[in-house]
Amino acid sequence: MRPIQLFQLAATQARWLSVRQDVVAGNVANVNTPGYKAMDVEPFSSLLDRMNEGNQTMAADSAMHLVSDDPNDAVKTEPVRDGVTIKPSGNSVDLPQELIKQGDIRSQFELNTGLVKSFHQMMMMTVKS
Amino acid sequence: MSDPLQAAMKVAASGLDAQSTRLRIVSENMANAQSTGATPGSDPYRRKVVDFSSVLDRQTGATEVSVERIATDPSDFTTVYDPSNPAADAKGMVKMPNVNMITEMADMREANRSYEANLQTIKQARDLVSMTIDLLRS
Repeated sequence: MRPIQLFQLAATQARWLSVRQDVVAGNVANVNTPGYKAMDVEPFSSLLDRMNEGNQTMAADSAMHLVSDDPNDAVKTEPVRDGVTIKPSGNSVDLPQELIKQGDIRSQFELNTGLVKSFHQMMMMTVKS
Repeated sequence: MSDPLQAAMKVAASGLDAQSTRLRIVSENMANAQSTGATPGSDPYRRKVVDFSSVLDRQTGATEVSVERIATDPSDFTTVYDPSNPAADAKGMVKMPNVNMITEMADMREANRSYEANLQTIKQARDLVSMTIDLLRS
């Protein structure tokens, strides 16, 4: 049986959420930029799957290519494909959609930090007499 | 390794900057809606428009926004009959700026909306940071 690595899991999700917030900020800032394509990050589950395979870093075409060891770069970003309406200027950012995403990020982050807090308290309960 | 939340705030700040430039241009257009030329038959004020473009910040790898250039609207001027105006030509016609107040109003509202969205992003990033710091308390 593998131990539950809650702190590591929580840290990974927090990092994923931060990167997602960064991507959403980019979309919101570029809401009036002609030709800009809205971006989003990969689902957390796919990042988790890759981590469980022990492949955390970016993929490289060749072993000679340099890959970044920045853990933030491990989260892949890709253009949003489904349900986008492209405006006449070629811009595909949907402002309400981005605000909904921000709400999602917020509630997930709250849950994340709350869980870490309570887990930490549980650990402290066992350590302290 | 850069902090994505800090990058998010920087990106949103670039958005605020771009939208406030846009608002400045809108107010310039509105203020000059009646600015005719000085000499007979000369061109009046020409409406300005902002052009946005996305730029990659190499330090954080985030896509920021910037005002690429401030262009002028090439559409035709309207003419009104006003022989007493110094800018009137031989027939008494004066060229008026190609500024449409309704268009400017709509532009202003949209700049306002985008500004608010960027502000919301900054608030959110700040709250996420403070939630993380709150882990150290209690």
